[in-house]
Amino acid sequence: MGIFDRKSDKPPESRPDFSNVRSGGSSTAPAEPQPTGTIGSGRTYVVVKGDSLSKIAKREYGDANKWRAIYEANKDLIKDPDLIYPGQELKVPGA
Amino acid sequence: MHTRLFGTSILALTLASVLSSACTKSGENPGTTGTTGAGVRVSQIDVGRSLAADKTVNANTNSFKPNDTIYASIATEGTAAAPATLKARWTYQDGQVVDESTQMIAPTGNARTEFHISKPDGWPAGKYKLEVFLNGSSAGTKDVEVER
Repeated sequence: MGIFDRKSDKPPESRPDFSNVRSGGSSTAPAEPQPTGTIGSGRTYVVVKGDSLSKIAKREYGDANKWRAIYEANKDLIKDPDLIYPGQELKVPGA
Repeated sequence: MHTRLFGTSILALTLASVLSSACTKSGENPGTTGTTGAGVRVSQIDVGRSLAADKTVNANTNSFKPNDTIYASIATEGTAAAPATLKARWTYQDGQVVDESTQMIAPTGNARTEFHISKPDGWPAGKYKLEVFLNGSSAGTKDVEVER
């Protein structure tokens, strides 16, 4: 038997078996975004980075073209419909 | 001259900052559309043997016994307009992935998310690492050890 055929005297190292590990989890946060409140027949929406009135309208009404309804309900807050800012609380009428 | 140039630069920077933080009505601005969990961040990772009702761990420890259930409590801050993905990956000292679990969260402020793992026939002694990912990016690690 050549030296290259010689097998180690050490037993092969066995790797631990983690196939029966059980896991789980939960959260205090909801899994889906929640409306932030209710005002009259609508509710409020807190603007986040990347939002636009048309995006909010699309999300709330399913129609981006209804952005003007949100703009009209928030004229006291929104001076220019092209500019809304993260953190602004907007009324979403009839949503 | 230098003063005027400096003043102009400050004005330009301020304008750029205001424009970049504002949102637009109809434009799809890829630089500001990070709605999926964009406003959420991991602020703390705790591990322990049990959880309180608010999903914090009752006593932080990084030392466990083979028959313990290992709990990780992850604190997040911020609001998600769309669900964010929080993942916990547990690995053993030899690099084996022990477990990987994912949860979708859409917090509206401070929140706690827990992950737990157990092994009916007991954990092999050794060192383990928990790595937490938020939307695919590593958000922190925690080392734990199982002792006989």
